[in-house]
Amino acid sequence: MTILEGKNITKKFAGLTAVNKVDFKLEKGEILGLIGPNGAGKTTLVNVIAGVYAPTEGDIYFKDKKISGLKPYKIGRLGIARTFQIVRPFSGMTVKENASVGAMFGAQGKTRSAKEAIKKAEEILEFVGLGDQMNVKADQLNVASRKRLEIAKALAMGPEVILFDEVMAGLNFSEIDQAVELIKKIRNSGITILIIEHVMRAIKRVCDRIFVLHHGEKIADGAPEEVLNDENVIKAYLGRRYKELIK
Amino acid sequence: MILQIIINGILKGGLYALMAIGMSLIWGVMDIINIAHGSFIMLGAFTTYWLFTLFGIDPFLSLVASMTVLFILGYAVQKYLINLVIRASAFITLILAFGIEIFINNSALVMWTADVRKVKVPYGAANFSIGNFVTVPTVRLLAFLLVIIISIILFYILNKTNLGRSIRATSQDLDAARLVGVDVARTYAVTFGLGVGAAGAAGTLWAILFPISPMMGGILTLKSFVVVIIGGLGNMLGPLIGGLTLGVTEALGSNWFGSTYENLISFTILVLVLIIRPQGILGGTE
Amino acid sequence: MKNDTRNFLICGVLLLAVAALPFFTNNFVIRFATDILMFAIMASAWNIIGGYTGYASFGNVVFFGIGAYITAIMMEKGGMNFAVAFIGAGFGAALFAILIGLPVLRLRGHYFAIATLGVAEAMKALVQNLEITEGNSGIYLPMLNLSVKGQYYFFFYMMLGTLVLTLLVTYFMLNAKFGYSLIAIREDEDAANSVGINTTYAKTMAFALSGLFTGLAGSVYAYQQAFIKPEPAFTVHTTVKMIVMAVFGGMGKLFGPLLGAFSIEIISEVLSNYFLVAHTLFFGIVVILAIVFTPKGIIDLITQKKFGLAYFLQNIREHRI
Repeated sequence: MTILEGKNITKKFAGLTAVNKVDFKLEKGEILGLIGPNGAGKTTLVNVIAGVYAPTEGDIYFKDKKISGLKPYKIGRLGIARTFQIVRPFSGMTVKENASVGAMFGAQGKTRSAKEAIKKAEEILEFVGLGDQMNVKADQLNVASRKRLEIAKALAMGPEVILFDEVMAGLNFSEIDQAVELIKKIRNSGITILIIEHVMRAIKRVCDRIFVLHHGEKIADGAPEEVLNDENVIKAYLGRRYKELIK
Repeated sequence: MILQIIINGILKGGLYALMAIGMSLIWGVMDIINIAHGSFIMLGAFTTYWLFTLFGIDPFLSLVASMTVLFILGYAVQKYLINLVIRASAFITLILAFGIEIFINNSALVMWTADVRKVKVPYGAANFSIGNFVTVPTVRLLAFLLVIIISIILFYILNKTNLGRSIRATSQDLDAARLVGVDVARTYAVTFGLGVGAAGAAGTLWAILFPISPMMGGILTLKSFVVVIIGGLGNMLGPLIGGLTLGVTEALGSNWFGSTYENLISFTILVLVLIIRPQGILGGTE
Repeated sequence: MKNDTRNFLICGVLLLAVAALPFFTNNFVIRFATDILMFAIMASAWNIIGGYTGYASFGNVVFFGIGAYITAIMMEKGGMNFAVAFIGAGFGAALFAILIGLPVLRLRGHYFAIATLGVAEAMKALVQNLEITEGNSGIYLPMLNLSVKGQYYFFFYMMLGTLVLTLLVTYFMLNAKFGYSLIAIREDEDAANSVGINTTYAKTMAFALSGLFTGLAGSVYAYQQAFIKPEPAFTVHTTVKMIVMAVFGGMGKLFGPLLGAFSIEIISEVLSNYFLVAHTLFFGIVVILAIVFTPKGIIDLITQKKFGLAYFLQNIREHRI
């Protein structure tokens, strides 16, 4: 079933059209990749889905219910979690407290007491591989751990859909491989994923489908092999990326 | 009748604008809310008072002295005190300013007692009339002209000199300015000095027009806030527009509701502006 | 768990010691202690919105004044007893916090601070002009019908009780979801929104709690003074004091403000005995030195266990230009 759908999404900022009449469908259980050169409108689209912006035109449906225009916290509580491109941990809190916040206020937050939420947070932290850093202050983590924490916060919310915004940026090759495994693990636990990425190495290995934005418009949509070899997509990514895509 | 009230409001507004220019400069460039601002105005007022009382120096001439003294004081305060905490949260700087305010006000209280004083110049009550319906107090008009002159001078400094360039650069990006070789510690000190110097000028004019006392600063700081918020940050015209708006509104409001409502009007405007349009009349979008 | 029970016991013992204080000292000390407690309430209440939520209000004295005036009006003009007025004061202050909070909490940082300052000053000016508040003449309250000693005891225990209430509520809040939401808002409000926190609701509730306890302090103060006027009731210097106390003791820490209130009041008292004339001047110096050398507050000094010169210099090194 289609769990998340965007119809004719347009977002304008005082004269600049960041996203232009984009349609997309996210099927339950899949990992959908969203790629495109810098400035293509990917993060804006995610911000629209997450409620940070209301779309100028168009609508978003989550499980057939319209969610466009709802505030971010409502969308989080409905079951859609997101991570931020530049990670945003709660610096003054420990890793465990960070994840606990997600568990307390996410989709399943209402059903949990504070104690239960903290327990859930501990489970999630083990799941993402931060089990041994639970009492470390968030601002003392290294880059890879911060990314894991960002993912943990989102997972702790108990979402049905997660929007990952460039989660691999800044990771070295082995860390990227670990992140890919983690994402697959997350999907296998029943969560649907929309992932924005630049790191082609990861995109190829983790996505079931990919759609491509360029200058705010969708220029391709389909299986990874097709999309990555599509003329238009390659043209949009001239330069170094060209060689990588051809590989 | 109503014209007279408006003229009064404009002239008072000019004085408010002069008071606020310094605060706006410091806030706009260094993101510091100078709670001690009124205290510096008070010091400027007393500099003028003592120069007049002890040495007979005309208050308008003492402008130079009060601005210089306050500039040096401001420079020192920033360089040796505020610069020590400026990278901590804005809040810490604020409390430091509180401490400075308490220190300055009470030093003045100890040195000069709480007595209210007046600079009595022979031309204090001079005025001229326009036609039959409007009387303009000369001193207030001079004060208004001075506001414009000082604003122009500050504008010139900020936009046409190297110093001004470094100030603007530092306000936009502290680290970038440092990287291109700006001595940020000194730039901040100069900026604060300029802002406080402007406060000194306002103090001089206040002393010519109104009675002064060591505790006069508090309400002046608050009024300066209102002016800066109404006018908006980041623009040299801001304090002027804000001051005029406040002056005229207070004059009209006092006339309609009574003079005891003056403060209520000012602070209600402050809150309303913040709720409806926080960037003020001239401020850009946040 | 063990740590918690031990802490509880320590607090309990200290509380008993404080509660026993009036029986062992004279009226002057009791009054002094009552003042400390009053400021501790206000600083702790401020801590809820300023320290934990990260919204530094510069106008909290408005709740103090509202609490004081509601009490005065209810008792003097409405003929009600103190118990009712006390509750009414707290309720009124909290309600005002919600009303003013909804528009004002949309602002951040400096703008929020100035807006709250504006509200406090506007309220003072309003009270100076209204008939029901008797303008600048002030309102007299009925006197408490007890012996002099009895009165001192009464106000001491009222303030103590209110402080205990404030700290207890804060403590339970910190361990509940609500407390987590406030700290999340302070650390990163947008991320807090994304994670599912209704930040508008949380901020407003925090502000209401802050107003509630401050209002209660004002209520007791009014009854204690038996007379209130706009200037001391709404003066910005009360806000300055409560903020300095909260920061000096340790912002965002449960007992920080209490420690700060205690220290600042003791220091002020010592200074005013030593330097009859210039004590406020030295107080200003104390504030300056404290904020430059210990910006994180005394509690940080104690918990980090670093008492040497190195600690102070490190603070400066971190924060200087």
